[in-house]
Amino acid sequence: MNESGCVLQVRGLCKEHGEGQGLVRAVDEVDLDVPAGQTLAVMGPSGCGKSTLLHLMGGLERPTRGEVRLAGRRIDTLSERALARLRRRSVGFVFQSFHLVEELSAAENVELPALLAGCSPRAARRRAASLLERFGLADGARRLPWQLSGGQRQRVAIARAIANEPLVLLADEPTGNLDTAATLDVLRLFGELRAAGQTLVIVTHDERVASTADRLISMRDGAFVDDTRLAGHGPGRLGGMLGLGD
Amino acid sequence: MGRILLVLRLVVADVRRHPAQAAILLVSITAATAMLSLGGSLHGATEKLYRHTRAATAGPDVVAYSPGTRRTTITALESLGRAPGVVAHSGPHRQYYTTLTAHGATGAAVVQVADQAPGPVGRPLLTSGGWVRPGGVVIERGFATALGVRVGDRVTVAGRSLPVTGIAVTAARSVYPWAPGIGPHGGPSDGGGLVWAAERDTRALESPDVPVTSFINLRLRDPAAARAFTTRDPAIAPAFEHTWVNVRAWQDVARQDSVMLRDSQPILVIGSWLLAFLAIGGLATLAAGRAAAQTRRVGLLKAVGAAPGLIAAVLFAEYVTLALLADALGLAAARLIEPAIVNPSASLITTATGPSAGTIVLTTTAALAVAVLTTLGPTVRALRTETVAALADGAREPQHRAHLTRISALMPTSLLLGIRLIARRPGRAVLHACGTAATMATVTGLMVIYAQPAKGYPGSPMANELRDAQQHHVILAVTAALIALAAVNTLTATWTTAEEARRTMAVARTLGATPGQVTAGLSAAQVLPTLPGALAGIPMGLILCLPFSGPDTIWPPAWSLLAAALTAPPVTAALAAIPARAAARRPVASTLSAEVP
Repeated sequence: MNESGCVLQVRGLCKEHGEGQGLVRAVDEVDLDVPAGQTLAVMGPSGCGKSTLLHLMGGLERPTRGEVRLAGRRIDTLSERALARLRRRSVGFVFQSFHLVEELSAAENVELPALLAGCSPRAARRRAASLLERFGLADGARRLPWQLSGGQRQRVAIARAIANEPLVLLADEPTGNLDTAATLDVLRLFGELRAAGQTLVIVTHDERVASTADRLISMRDGAFVDDTRLAGHGPGRLGGMLGLGD
Repeated sequence: MGRILLVLRLVVADVRRHPAQAAILLVSITAATAMLSLGGSLHGATEKLYRHTRAATAGPDVVAYSPGTRRTTITALESLGRAPGVVAHSGPHRQYYTTLTAHGATGAAVVQVADQAPGPVGRPLLTSGGWVRPGGVVIERGFATALGVRVGDRVTVAGRSLPVTGIAVTAARSVYPWAPGIGPHGGPSDGGGLVWAAERDTRALESPDVPVTSFINLRLRDPAAARAFTTRDPAIAPAFEHTWVNVRAWQDVARQDSVMLRDSQPILVIGSWLLAFLAIGGLATLAAGRAAAQTRRVGLLKAVGAAPGLIAAVLFAEYVTLALLADALGLAAARLIEPAIVNPSASLITTATGPSAGTIVLTTTAALAVAVLTTLGPTVRALRTETVAALADGAREPQHRAHLTRISALMPTSLLLGIRLIARRPGRAVLHACGTAATMATVTGLMVIYAQPAKGYPGSPMANELRDAQQHHVILAVTAALIALAAVNTLTATWTTAEEARRTMAVARTLGATPGQVTAGLSAAQVLPTLPGALAGIPMGLILCLPFSGPDTIWPPAWSLLAAALTAPPVTAALAAIPARAAARRPVASTLSAEVP
């Protein structure tokens, strides 16, 4: 984190595809500060550049121009190797299609980031078991992804994303493939993470998800068109908003 | 007609879209069919060339030799020319045992006295230049090839420099270096090349120090009875009463010519089996790698109303067409290579007739079998998959190997990824290990052959050198083909693994695996099965050599075999790194965002 208390800082961020007549600005001169512990939702129509922005902030893509800083460290100029190391510890990703490793069980999927970060197998196993229990998946720990429901798979994916306690969790349409009940499960988990001080950036089409955030940014044609602070969203209100009778 | 056109259009489009895969398929099947065709063509190939040469040179049915030029010797040979059953003859002629020097190299030579116009039996066929004239010699083609001599070059015969007026082949003698037919003084031959010279030019050779033999070429009424003629037919017995005469039938000449290939044929046949195995392994891997894409293709075709028969035709047509093309290429390659193998000394007419109908049927069947067997599984699976499921994701579910996954957790990241990639598709790793074992078995065979000393049999040391060289060349070619195909297979396997696991590897990248670790992981997935495969290849190779070994066989030292096996993993790692590096550098975001992997 830098002196301003921002985990993520984006300045003049631009991502272009193609050239000449076919030039497309997926992200167009975007500036953004995400303070620690904030839950930021990014909304907009399909193709407006939400996912690209998320990828740029997580170092999965390189910008055409502009800067991305994570905890004060500029990451857009880092080598692939350095970016990979950064992702191990500082960034967690959650995807719409889960992207669990199909040949690994739920527990093995959650262990994977810790193993890649050099933890001992025992420590990784303990951490995975604790997360799966916390997420209500202790019984499904040995199951393979295709043996789990969509909601369970996304919970495993979230557990995997936070296994190394990242500075920021980037979620790309995390409820896009889920039914209502599973969506509520995921939102409950995000609520818990938010309460624990986890910085969250969520790209979504779902207004229910967006309404749980501290801040809502609307995007169109690669640029921000609105930036709204959503007041009064204490952790305790999330359940009420969702009608869960928290 | 419309359906056929549609199938062809789809096949052409797919080949254009995946040219590298089509090239791999072509190379693999071409190598296997070429080797299979060569192995099949060698049986009786030299005899066939000998018959052609015999027909073109009016080859004698029997050649009778007798040491010296005394009157009794000439009389005995002339009486053979009048013997019952003999319908024509040429000679008697003389041949001198001397040396020939050309381009600084000296070889044993037999100089035959040649008439200005050759007789009716045993008429050498000029392949270049003109026939013998006073002051110029004609050299037998095998001998000329060995010495690097061409028409117009000067050679030194018995200390006299003479120009080469022509190069010729003959069926009257065995191929170079067995040309003398009989040694000096009627003894065994030390081998040598054949030279024809005018009588005037051989006068310098008339010396007590230069052995000379007389010979006569005979044509029989019944050429098939030539062997019986040579076994002292009572009708020719008077000729042998006072003179030592050695007679050789044309069948003996043909048999001796084929000795050169005796050890080459099994090498080629076994080599073709191993190549076919590698081709099947490589193509099975390729087909499996394409299975997901093929399943989605099937989904698309089903969605637009294609019947299962049409879909199967589309899927099979591409591999079958490419297999038939590769078969034709393999047969053509074998046709081009065959003369160099069946006629290593170039002493016979190189009018190779190409593969027989049986060989063509064999190679075509093998090529089609390889194509059908490797595509059958993925095709059936694709046809059975429901349309929606096929459109969604055609990839076969990877296997979960809890034990391997647990072990890999103890390893560094590269090995962890590599072992987990093996655990996804263990059958692929076994196939790769078997391919390495087949290659190493051939390398072992090569090392065993190189470990043998040059034997130098009494009588014709040069012949054995040539035969050894021939055997070395053949196994070297087979080994080179196997190593090349194994390299192609390694590239294919790595590419296939990378294709199948690209989402998994992209996920690993999002979780913090570096491109280097992913590259190393993909390479490790190929390298780990290589070592047991290479080690298993050593005993396999030794077992393959056993039928050709004897009590005096020298086996290469164990350390050298082990060293050869240990070079396989680093070579595999280097090869696998090429596609692995390309795969590891794929953009993560686009891989994960893609609807269709």
